[in-house]
Amino acid sequence: MAYEFYPSNRRSLAFGLEYPLTLKQRYARLMEDLYLACIVISGLAIVVITLIIPFGVFMRYVMNNPQSWPEPASVVMMVMFSFVGGAAVYRANVHVAVEALLNAVSPAQKRLMLIGVDLCMAATALFMTAYGAHLCQITWNQSMAEFPGLPVGVVYMPIPIGGFLTFLFLIERVWVGPPPATSIMYSDAASELE
Amino acid sequence: MDILILLGSFALLCALGVPVAYALGLAAICGALWVDIPLEAVMLKISDGTDDFALLAIPFFVLAGAIMAEGGMAARLINMARIFVGFIRGGLALVNILASSLFGCISGSSVADTSAIGSVMIPQMVKAGFPRVFATNVTICGSVQALLIPPSHNAVIYSLAAGGTVSVAHLFLAGIFPGMLFALCLIGLVLWISHKREYPRGEPVALKDVPKIIVEALWGLVTVVIIMGGILSGVFTPTESAAVACVYAFLVTFLVYRDYKWRDLPHLVHRVVKTVAMVMMLIGFSVAFGYMMAIMQIPSKVTQFFLSISDNKYVFLFLVNILLLLLGTFMDLAPMLLICTPIFMPVILKLGIDPVHFGMIMILNLGIGLITPPVGPTLFVGCAIGRVSMEEVSKELWPFYGAMCLALLLVTYVPAISLWLPGLTK
Repeated sequence: MAYEFYPSNRRSLAFGLEYPLTLKQRYARLMEDLYLACIVISGLAIVVITLIIPFGVFMRYVMNNPQSWPEPASVVMMVMFSFVGGAAVYRANVHVAVEALLNAVSPAQKRLMLIGVDLCMAATALFMTAYGAHLCQITWNQSMAEFPGLPVGVVYMPIPIGGFLTFLFLIERVWVGPPPATSIMYSDAASELE
Repeated sequence: MDILILLGSFALLCALGVPVAYALGLAAICGALWVDIPLEAVMLKISDGTDDFALLAIPFFVLAGAIMAEGGMAARLINMARIFVGFIRGGLALVNILASSLFGCISGSSVADTSAIGSVMIPQMVKAGFPRVFATNVTICGSVQALLIPPSHNAVIYSLAAGGTVSVAHLFLAGIFPGMLFALCLIGLVLWISHKREYPRGEPVALKDVPKIIVEALWGLVTVVIIMGGILSGVFTPTESAAVACVYAFLVTFLVYRDYKWRDLPHLVHRVVKTVAMVMMLIGFSVAFGYMMAIMQIPSKVTQFFLSISDNKYVFLFLVNILLLLLGTFMDLAPMLLICTPIFMPVILKLGIDPVHFGMIMILNLGIGLITPPVGPTLFVGCAIGRVSMEEVSKELWPFYGAMCLALLLVTYVPAISLWLPGLTK
């Protein structure tokens, strides 16, 4: 299933396209926004970690006042960008996969294999959502040693969230089709190969 | 039967085309269901895999490398390399290799190296009269050095996969000579080909420009001094050194070089998030997979298997090299490191092979796998930048594979190349 059209940004939606949008188009739009949110959250997490770790080093050596929070705070943020970013990576199709066999078989067989891949992805995403949520639930009453008052479950939260986002992106891929070349996902590619 | 369920399901899922990270996770789930381990345990291992402070070094090294690569570092290192080897026959090809060695001191990724060096060097080489395919081949093969020369985030991944028992500082030091040896093997081959085919000589750099070029390049090369100096002196942990290097790289790029525009920064972070999240998911799921392997005692069974063939470590290393070269053609470096390291670790300890030495063998071997079809990320990027087809490139890669395998053999059978330098610090 291919896109009939795909709004590459809000401006084109406002000026170039006719309302009302179909359900599919609305869903695709929502996924595009979700992708952007994932990247912004993960990107911010990386930037913040990059600043607080040297801050910890600075406080330890220069101010002689070692801080205990930068390290655990970074770890919490790292889990967040791993799983939330991981979901975005799935949508952008950047995960490493072995495609040798996929490229060698006939188109009909390839379609069948891709259905298999989607089913496996759905199983993993749902596993992450269900068991990740369960893990959060059972650790919710324990508080973190470094941040009293913050439940341990918070550290695990990105796993079910990442799983659920992956599932939403999977629905998009199956129902609407792969995002078009104008998607924001590829906005970073141009300068990469300049 | 346990092995068949775990490894069989993993192989099947990979062959089907499931992303490797998720294939590892699903195979671990299959294994857990088979041996009746609660799935919560698998989930806990997945999260354990990503909440280790030492892991943070990976995003930092990737980020520092990306900032330097795109902030004008590559062009300055190329200028510096030109001073030393630019005037020889085949000079630009040698400049390409030497620039990759220098760039390896900043970035630990062969894909980033190919993209940064290749985008500058390939057009220049073509303009000077080198065939496009040759220019591409030199670029992609030269970039493998970046994996060995410190700082290499693959060394961090290996250290983690080995259960944290191998010091990152030792791995960094160990990579210096294998990286240089690799470069020498390629330089030898390029000189020979250049003389045979009479490739052009480069222009010597004017003496008055030399000091400026060196100072500009040194600004960037200080990154490696911060990282190695910080780690070896014990001032920083590897993670902290990488974070400080990021901030330094940022300052040099935006305050000294000033080639980079602020508005491009979100794109850079976008790219880094994609790369890093992909690696982190792999690590998370591979820890769960490794946990299932340990429960099924697969590493000890593999040890018994290899010892039943031969208890000679040289025979074992030969077999492992063949196996990794074969697997490396299909699989990327990071997942292979994460899957194979825990499997081989008990065997190498039993045979008396130093884990630091083995790490170098694995990284170099699997690095060669990055430029072999059908699955070769560095090869793909190189072909895209060089605007040549994979078939054209592959046909002429054979002599390069020869030179790289020679380097691999030397690194494998002369442990001192890897171990001499870390030995000095013990």
